[in-house]
Amino acid sequence: MMNASSRWKSFAVPGVAALVATSAIAAPSYVVVPAQSSLNFVGTQQGEKFTGAIRDFDARIAYAADDLATSRLDVTIGVKSMDTKSPDRDQALATADWFDFAKFPTATFRTVAIRATPTGPVGDADLTIKGHTKRIAFPFTWKPAGTGATLDARVTLDRLDFGLGAGDWADESTVGRKVEVVVHLTLVAGPASTPAKPPAGKPVAKPAVP
Amino acid sequence: MPVRSTPTDWGAVTRLFHWGMLLLFVGIVSVGFYMTDLPLGPKKLKIYALHKSIGLTLLGLAVLRLLWRLSERRPVSPPMPAWQERAAVATHVLLYVLMFVIPLSGWLYNSAAGFPLQWFHVVNLPALASADPGLKVLAKQVHVAGVVTLIAIVALHAAAAFKHHFVDRDRTLLAMVSRAGGQP
Repeated sequence: MMNASSRWKSFAVPGVAALVATSAIAAPSYVVVPAQSSLNFVGTQQGEKFTGAIRDFDARIAYAADDLATSRLDVTIGVKSMDTKSPDRDQALATADWFDFAKFPTATFRTVAIRATPTGPVGDADLTIKGHTKRIAFPFTWKPAGTGATLDARVTLDRLDFGLGAGDWADESTVGRKVEVVVHLTLVAGPASTPAKPPAGKPVAKPAVP
Repeated sequence: MPVRSTPTDWGAVTRLFHWGMLLLFVGIVSVGFYMTDLPLGPKKLKIYALHKSIGLTLLGLAVLRLLWRLSERRPVSPPMPAWQERAAVATHVLLYVLMFVIPLSGWLYNSAAGFPLQWFHVVNLPALASADPGLKVLAKQVHVAGVVTLIAIVALHAAAAFKHHFVDRDRTLLAMVSRAGGQP
C-alpha cells in the first residue's frame, strides 16, 4: 500500500513529456470526462427496480494491461448527488438510516491491487460507504479509445455490508439487499498532478487538470 | 336470495358489491388518514403498500360492479317527487364516478412521486406517468378531494335511505338489506 502510494506520487509529474518519459516505469494515467461517464446503481423497492444516478464523482486512474502493478483506480464519490427519480426516496436516503449525508457525504473506492484473470482485469478494492469499508472484487472491461479509454463495470453489493438500511429496514420485503452498481467511465489521457480530492457540493465533478 | 336483482329487491351480487366495497372503503379511508403522519420507516411503507393494495382491489371491483350494474335492471323505485328521483340518479352517478376517480388519482399520485406500485406482493403495476412534482401535488389534491366528496355523498345516500325507510316507509332501504323478496 505504502509502496504503491509513493509510486503514485512519483508519477504525479505534470506534462505530456513527463508522461512519455515515465511511461516505461508506470501505467499511464487518465482523467474522467464527466459528461460521458456515469455512476448508477439499481436497487429494488417493493418488487420494482429503480435506478439511482450519482452525478458527483471523480476518478484518478492509472492503467496498463501489461503493468498492473502500477495500475490503480481511485474514485471519490459525493453521495449527496444521488438522484433516484423520486424526491421522497431521495429524502429517505439522506437520513441516518441510509446514507447519513450529514455525517458521511463522501464514499471512496481505492484498488489495492489489480489482477489479470482469464475473463479480464479484476481490481481488489476497498469500498468505503458511510464509514464502513469492505474489500470487494471489481471486474472491469477496459477498452482503449484513441489516447483515452472507456472503463465499464458491474458489481453487485449487499447494502447491509455498508450499514445502509440497518435495523427495521434490513427486512428485504420492502427494500432489497442486493444493489447493482453500474459504472461507465470515459477517460482521456491526463497526468494526475494531485491526488483525487473529495468533490464539493452538487456540481458535476471536473478533472483537476484542465 | 336471487343472484340478480328483481323488481323489488337488489340481487345477491349487487349486495355483495355494495356492502363489501363499503367495508373496504371504511378500512382504506381509516388507513389513509392514519398513515400520512407516521414517521418514515419500513412500517410506513408497508402500511402505504396495504392502502395501495386495497385501493387497487377497489378499482378492480369498481370495474366489475359497473359492468354488473349495466347488465341488469334495478328494482323499481317507489313513488317519489321528480326532484328526488333526479337527486338519487345524480348521487348514484357521482358514486360510480368517484369509485374510479379516487383510486386512479391515487395511482397517478404514486406514479408522479416515482414510487413502485405492487398489489399484495403479487404483481407490480406500471406507472401512469413519470415522476413529476407538479403532477404529484395535483393528483394528491384530486385524491383527497375525491375522498372527502365520497364521504359526503355516502352520508347523503345513507341519510336518504333512512328517510325513505322511517319517513316515507317505503322499500328503498329494505331492497338492499331484507332477506325475503317482496315482503316489507
